[in-house]
Amino acid sequence: MANLVSYIVRKLLLAIPIIILATFIVFLMLHLTPGDPALRLVPPRHTSQDVEDAREKYGLNESLPVQYASFLWRLLHGDMGTSVTTFTPVDIMVFNRLPRTLELMAIGLTISYSIGIPLGIFSALRQNSVADRGVMVFTLIAYAMPSFWLGIMLMLIFAVKLHWLPLGGTVGGFASIILPTITLGLGNSALTTRMMRSSMLEVLRMDYMTQLRSRGLPEREVIFKHGLKNAILPVITVIGLDIGWFVGGAVVVETIFSWPGIGKLLVDSIQNADFPVVQGCILILAMFVVLGNLLADILYAYVDPRVRLG
Amino acid sequence: MILRRQLNNLMISWKGARGFRRTMLDIVVRGSRNPMVVIGATIILVMVALAILAPVLPIADPTPPEVNPGEKLLPPSTRHWFGTDNIGQDVFSRVIWATRVSLTVASLAICFSLMIGVILGLTAGYFGGAVDYIIAGTIDLFWTFPAFLLALALAAALGASLTNVIIAISISFWAGFGRLMRGQALTVRERQFVEASRALGAKNSRIMFTHVLPNCIAPLIVWASIGVADAITIESSLSFLGAGTPATTPSWGNMLNLGMPFISEAWWVATFPGVVLLITVLGFNLLGDGLRDVLDPRMKGLRR
Repeated sequence: MANLVSYIVRKLLLAIPIIILATFIVFLMLHLTPGDPALRLVPPRHTSQDVEDAREKYGLNESLPVQYASFLWRLLHGDMGTSVTTFTPVDIMVFNRLPRTLELMAIGLTISYSIGIPLGIFSALRQNSVADRGVMVFTLIAYAMPSFWLGIMLMLIFAVKLHWLPLGGTVGGFASIILPTITLGLGNSALTTRMMRSSMLEVLRMDYMTQLRSRGLPEREVIFKHGLKNAILPVITVIGLDIGWFVGGAVVVETIFSWPGIGKLLVDSIQNADFPVVQGCILILAMFVVLGNLLADILYAYVDPRVRLG
Repeated sequence: MILRRQLNNLMISWKGARGFRRTMLDIVVRGSRNPMVVIGATIILVMVALAILAPVLPIADPTPPEVNPGEKLLPPSTRHWFGTDNIGQDVFSRVIWATRVSLTVASLAICFSLMIGVILGLTAGYFGGAVDYIIAGTIDLFWTFPAFLLALALAAALGASLTNVIIAISISFWAGFGRLMRGQALTVRERQFVEASRALGAKNSRIMFTHVLPNCIAPLIVWASIGVADAITIESSLSFLGAGTPATTPSWGNMLNLGMPFISEAWWVATFPGVVLLITVLGFNLLGDGLRDVLDPRMKGLRR
């Protein structure tokens, strides 16, 4: 247990530089574009007094390091600025949208694993058969398929032609969440399938599997009780990477299906040139990935004691 | 078959040749035995040929100066193979021209990432110590940060233009090459031939670029091929969201974006650019995965 605690502390410390990098990128975004940064922090209709006020408020006359320090200081106090189109504090806008994005990602991840893990095991147990080849072709295509195109095609088939499911938004209740989550989950399920298959194949070749069989254990028990336990470990290690993929995917999927999450807010804000909101969304999504990676690391250490000692 | 035998003979006669040329020949010979590599390379060759030949192919003008109102949203026909879009532009022609844009952006972005990654990774792995500590830390930072989010942040800040998309993708992508190169340099620098050339008085830069680098060519090619596939996806996603290639230039992503509102009356506008995008990405993935299987089974863990 002590090992696990020190492992978690170590991982927490490693997450700090990534969070700092995220704040730095978000801070730099303001200064990357040519022109006066103060103009990006005032509403489209503004007076020269507004610009001066913004310059004063955000300390834009100071040197960059000082500005960065005060930016971090404001962040630590939960101040992410105010939207220039709705005049609402950015943190309120972002946190209002957060549950919708979490919902989408949680169901998307569930779909991805409930397709990927069984399909990977199935494919490994029938290595080189026609079914295995079929699964491999599916993973190649599903991985290459851009999520925005898949989303539009699903929309075309199930909403426009068949009228089974709503086009987008959230008014349809549960029916509304089906297409977005399938779009999100399918591409990632290809990665999970390949991972699960190759890891299962490796375990099937191990000596202890032969030994268990020779002791007369039923095949089902050998594979699902003893084999799967080891084969699933690599799939768990990449949950962190999966979350990174889902964050990018959520931005696209929310835009297609008008899903009121952070991704949609981000894209709308980019189009409306609402700079403070763009910064807030990117920062929160980045934190999300860091947190996801951290949880995946802890989960991995919990299921595989060897990791904690390493 | 005959081609393969010739390649084999060529390889035998080149046995004395060292380094880069030898490695490339080896990749071609062994790759041609793998169906995934062959299919992938064929797809890529066709797409590259279409991209290069776009100006001389007998296709409609992708961005006609004047639009005929009668040509709007026409379904696919012998005159317009993929139909026309909401302002009467020929979708087939635009898809071909978009190939040019997407392939150029993706391959330039990967070239820049490759250069940054190779130089930094090689320096870190070869010198070790404090240099390695700093560079490896930076590489890990960028590796953990999701590439798409970083590219979107940069593209949103820099504004929608082709150059900015290339910059955004390069900055979010180099860490993969850096990681790979550092790992390879760490193992290669311990080999005896490196020690031998150091004993003969070779400079560090010479050892790095003539001895260590050529030994890392195979994994770099695999990673670059997979990288182009990912870069194409990122470019089109950015363009789809309106933060990538400007709407005036045809790109698969912004064609889908423009076609989406018309999905109920004109399915072809958004469908065909996606199919071509899918095939192209598939081609680069097949080439990368196939080459990885052929060249180095140990690299399986490089990507899931």
